[in-house]
Amino acid sequence: MTLDVSIGKLRLKNPLILASGILGSYSSSLNIISKYAGAVVTKSVSFEKREGYKNPVVINWKHGLLNAVGLANMSAKDFSNELKKFNKACPLIVSIYGYSAEDISNLTALFPMADAFEINLSCPHVKGLGADIAEDQELVKDILAETKKKTRKPVFAKIPYSKNIIELGKIAEECKIDGVVAINTIKGLRIDIKSRKPVLSNIFGGVSGEAIKPMALKCVWDLYEEIKIPIIGVGGITTYEDVIEFILAGASAVQIGSAFFYSYKIIKSIKESLESFTRVYGPISELIGAAHRV
Amino acid sequence: MYSLRVVKVLKHNPSISTIYFSNEIPSYPGQFIMLNVFNYEEIPLSLSSQNSVTVKVRGETTKVLANIPTGSLVGVRGPFGRGFTLTSKHSLIVAGGIGIAPLLYLYICLKKINSNVLVLYGAKTREDIIFKNILKNDVIVATEDGSEGFQGTVVDLLLEINNIEKFDKIYCCGPEGMLKRVYKVLRDKNLLKKSEFSLERYIKCGIGICGTCVLKNGKRVCKDGPVFNASELAEEFED
Repeated sequence: MTLDVSIGKLRLKNPLILASGILGSYSSSLNIISKYAGAVVTKSVSFEKREGYKNPVVINWKHGLLNAVGLANMSAKDFSNELKKFNKACPLIVSIYGYSAEDISNLTALFPMADAFEINLSCPHVKGLGADIAEDQELVKDILAETKKKTRKPVFAKIPYSKNIIELGKIAEECKIDGVVAINTIKGLRIDIKSRKPVLSNIFGGVSGEAIKPMALKCVWDLYEEIKIPIIGVGGITTYEDVIEFILAGASAVQIGSAFFYSYKIIKSIKESLESFTRVYGPISELIGAAHRV
Repeated sequence: MYSLRVVKVLKHNPSISTIYFSNEIPSYPGQFIMLNVFNYEEIPLSLSSQNSVTVKVRGETTKVLANIPTGSLVGVRGPFGRGFTLTSKHSLIVAGGIGIAPLLYLYICLKKINSNVLVLYGAKTREDIIFKNILKNDVIVATEDGSEGFQGTVVDLLLEINNIEKFDKIYCCGPEGMLKRVYKVLRDKNLLKKSEFSLERYIKCGIGICGTCVLKNGKRVCKDGPVFNASELAEEFED
């Protein structure tokens, strides 16, 4: 079929993956989205339950969203029980995070229902986690290597918009990671001028949505030039044209998150448009990285 | 997000207050706002009118809000969510405790379009029964301790009403246990399709994307609700 893509061992019926943090904390919402998506990524989870930050944690603005949810999750054990109810209509990618190689890699054993894992090395608004960890390349190597040892399932690394993004991509490739996911949200903030206060309780958060699409595209482009492992592009995709841009830049698949603000059925709509597009221009798989070719 | 000033705080009793804002919020009954009590937390509150919310003290933020000085600024996001469907014919409102809040806004709107409204309103004790001056003769009160009106819960009272099939719309809001019981009464009488429930869940983003408030059927309370047609709620209330 024209929308089929594969990312290593993972075969997807289309290149549209639900991004982590969007409608992914319970099976009930994942089960609706899984009907149309190529795959779904869950909300990021750690061993212990985490409260996350106090509200306000998410706002919408003219060109996307701004969030500092603060990595809120139920315990890995509870989340695993919750995910037992997943309907398996598409592959399930469980997003995992933690402070150490041991913490993160040990999570894989708790999710037998996962078809793959995505390691969160890129959340920009929690101290000591996510993007902070990505600053320590030795630690990143440990985390990726340990996780690959502990599971046979595909492991992806979600990396941040940062000046070391290429180095991180190369480390992932060295550690035989099955693909990199680029990018996460980019640091930003808003201020309410009447109350004269930052809008988010954490003061700053991660910007997502159409505002960050050009930056995300640049990252995918650069990674495609430098590494051979698959790239999953994410950042501001709201239309089928955006999807094609990312594929041409070098992505084998894409993730969609903020666009759910516009419609719960956004993946279904984009999928239908892509089907029409491929009827004229040929299968998606043949377009991967085509913008790089002479 | 924008800011509004508090112009009046009506303390109904030590634990329930209605906070009035400087401006009307263009909205529909059943919708809610995310209200930011600066230096505390942003919480979801159903609008009890175009320019008010009615809050019951449950924790730190609600305690501060229930006693907030007039002139204070509060942050507002919204209004959010799907509201009630109005009718100009016969309507039945079933309110449990603080569930009266969104139902008061609904009541005001129904009266404006000349609907024939009957309100069944139950609470633990007479102190918790508020807005009597607005509901006037349209309300039948129930108190669990019998300190006012019918003795029993509002569900007990509902079972005493004859021919609830004659109502064109039935609206309900209150604690989860009460909603479940009312659901079963309506189901047994085949009245789910003409009934609407306003649900409450823990809310983070309020705009339908974080997934914190999803029901067992995957619908989002903040965006697909908080008002739902009762026929959509089988997964939630059936055992």
